[in-house]
Amino acid sequence: MSDLLQLAAANLLSPMVLFFALGAFASFFRSDLTIPEAIGKGLALYLMLAIGFKGGAQLAANGATALVLVALAAALILSFALPVAAYALLRTFTRLQVADAAAVAAHYGSVSVVTFVAATGYLDGRGIRYEGFVVAMLAVMETPAIVSGLLLARRGGAALTDGGPLLSGEVIREVFLSGGVVLLAGSFAIAMATGERGLAMMAPAIGEPFSALLAVFLLDMGLLVGRRLREFRAVGWPVIAFGLYMPLIGATVGLLVARAIGLSEGGMTLVAVLAASASYIVVPAAMRLSLPQANPAIYVPLSLAVTFPFNLIAGIPLYHAAAQWLARP
Amino acid sequence: MAQLWPKKKIEIVVEAARAKAMIATIERAGAKGYTIVPEVSGKGNRGVRDEAVLSDVFRNVLIVVIAAEEVATRIVEASNAVLEHYAGIIVVSDVEVVRNEHF
Repeated sequence: MSDLLQLAAANLLSPMVLFFALGAFASFFRSDLTIPEAIGKGLALYLMLAIGFKGGAQLAANGATALVLVALAAALILSFALPVAAYALLRTFTRLQVADAAAVAAHYGSVSVVTFVAATGYLDGRGIRYEGFVVAMLAVMETPAIVSGLLLARRGGAALTDGGPLLSGEVIREVFLSGGVVLLAGSFAIAMATGERGLAMMAPAIGEPFSALLAVFLLDMGLLVGRRLREFRAVGWPVIAFGLYMPLIGATVGLLVARAIGLSEGGMTLVAVLAASASYIVVPAAMRLSLPQANPAIYVPLSLAVTFPFNLIAGIPLYHAAAQWLARP
Repeated sequence: MAQLWPKKKIEIVVEAARAKAMIATIERAGAKGYTIVPEVSGKGNRGVRDEAVLSDVFRNVLIVVIAAEEVATRIVEASNAVLEHYAGIIVVSDVEVVRNEHF
């Protein structure tokens, strides 16, 4: 227990978390501190490139095995299944209607890349290794949840846009060709193709500076979150509570799955983070396009201003402690 | 003074997620062109809408179309269905243009 508290305290005192808090504080109190949008977007691209490349390089070094395929299949199933559990909880314990519950549920099956990146930063800072293909699991988990959420909505009788197909061409483009996904998958492939020589060339940019740039990016995230903190009227307490307990449920499932397929302590931590985190970029865009009856003033603040900070501050050290416990000899 | 031609100007504020569908409707109605202001903010019956944060969920765009009356009528008639469940404002006004052949 005291170990856990120590871990949590060490995480709280990392520059990443403190810069995030600074950003949230500044924008909540309406400071004019802003990071120019283009720089924020550039940093997001940098982080995608860096984790994609590092994951690919690691997989290239260790060689692809059957374990990789098992892990990817597990990721696919997690992303499909988590929204079903989330939907059941929302319909039982909150007053959300079909469309809102399905939209929120979809967010929780998908993933937050920034939370994942922060978790890799946390592990790197402690010298804990993790399987590179977990990055590929991240890419796999982005979308199935969208399909799952839309199926739940349709089954519950909510109207999809234009009475249309489950995934319109526009949604498919938005989801599979979103800039972040393309860069992440592309960097992963480039790292696989160029191997050690490629990593040696990229290392000066994606190795050492990574943590500091992540901290700047989290400052920007804090600024966004702080603004959203004022928008909770539409959300309501039972739903906010869901934003706090759903990550714990997801993380538990993630940990058990990761352990079952035999991942390391670091790998288990990251899969827990993936299963615990909620999307706030790709899924909101897809839900807005496909399920207009669902209210974005519920799912965006819930995912961005409740679950994201929770995972960043408390979740990551907690999931890591649980993974450590599961990995003990 | 150069000759002026009467036209209709349609201004549409619509959320970004629906902009593509709106533009498709405008083109199907027979308009020869349109102008887009990619980010506008303000307040309406969905509260304050601003900030293009991360996803474009809270972003609005302004689309301006100048067209002959019958085209304008078709656009207005078709746009109700496009805007169902989405944030949107449509206003039509009379304007005069200089270069008739452009519209």
